[in-house]
Amino acid sequence: MAKFAFLFIDDGVDYQGAPTPEQQKVYADIFKWFETNGDKITDGGAELQPTRTATTIRKRSGKAAVLDGPFIEAKESVGGFSVFELPSKDAAVALAKTWPGYGIEIRPVGDHMEAQ
Amino acid sequence: MAQYVLMLLEDEDWVQKQTKEEKERAYAGINKWWEDLNRQGIVKGGEELQPKHTATTVRRQNGTMNVTEGPFIESKEHVGGFLMVDVPDLDAAIAIAKSWPGGDVEVRPIVVH
Repeated sequence: MAKFAFLFIDDGVDYQGAPTPEQQKVYADIFKWFETNGDKITDGGAELQPTRTATTIRKRSGKAAVLDGPFIEAKESVGGFSVFELPSKDAAVALAKTWPGYGIEIRPVGDHMEAQ
Repeated sequence: MAQYVLMLLEDEDWVQKQTKEEKERAYAGINKWWEDLNRQGIVKGGEELQPKHTATTVRRQNGTMNVTEGPFIESKEHVGGFLMVDVPDLDAAIAIAKSWPGGDVEVRPIVVH
């Protein structure tokens, strides 16, 4: 078994704002998906507020600058994450394909930063 | 109290420029920082991600889920890890982000259900 982080991709649908009935159905399906696959989750992670709530801390100048907005302005952003324990990368891809939302970036995780 | 996710950003150019010694020193600093945070009991979860070349992206396109190699966004900078903290407010989350011995950080409040 191996651990995979699922980075849920936000394609700009504001589920916390005023979603359309169609988007509300997707959101309900997402809840069901988490219920169905809950036994494979090792770190529930979080659903993130939209990118307009983001703050980015930049340290390049040697002094930390605090800026409003996400680290990159793009059509797609990180909308949340969860960690799954699965037999293989193929199993991770198969599970990701059942995601009712838009998309997922799958990334194996390292072992250094386990919360204690 | 409020929960925030800190996305720890990795700049590939910066990583490549570091010597082995510098990397070891950075890791030692990160480990100590991580232990300190855990001791304070404000960490609610966190993961270090494997490098971005290990990423696979699944995306809905024209009704089907397409699989591509690589991260969802191609940029010099990408998410290298996550940290979830339970703190009084955004300022406290920003203070933790500033104390992170690594690079830049994006802070985002989470959705509470």
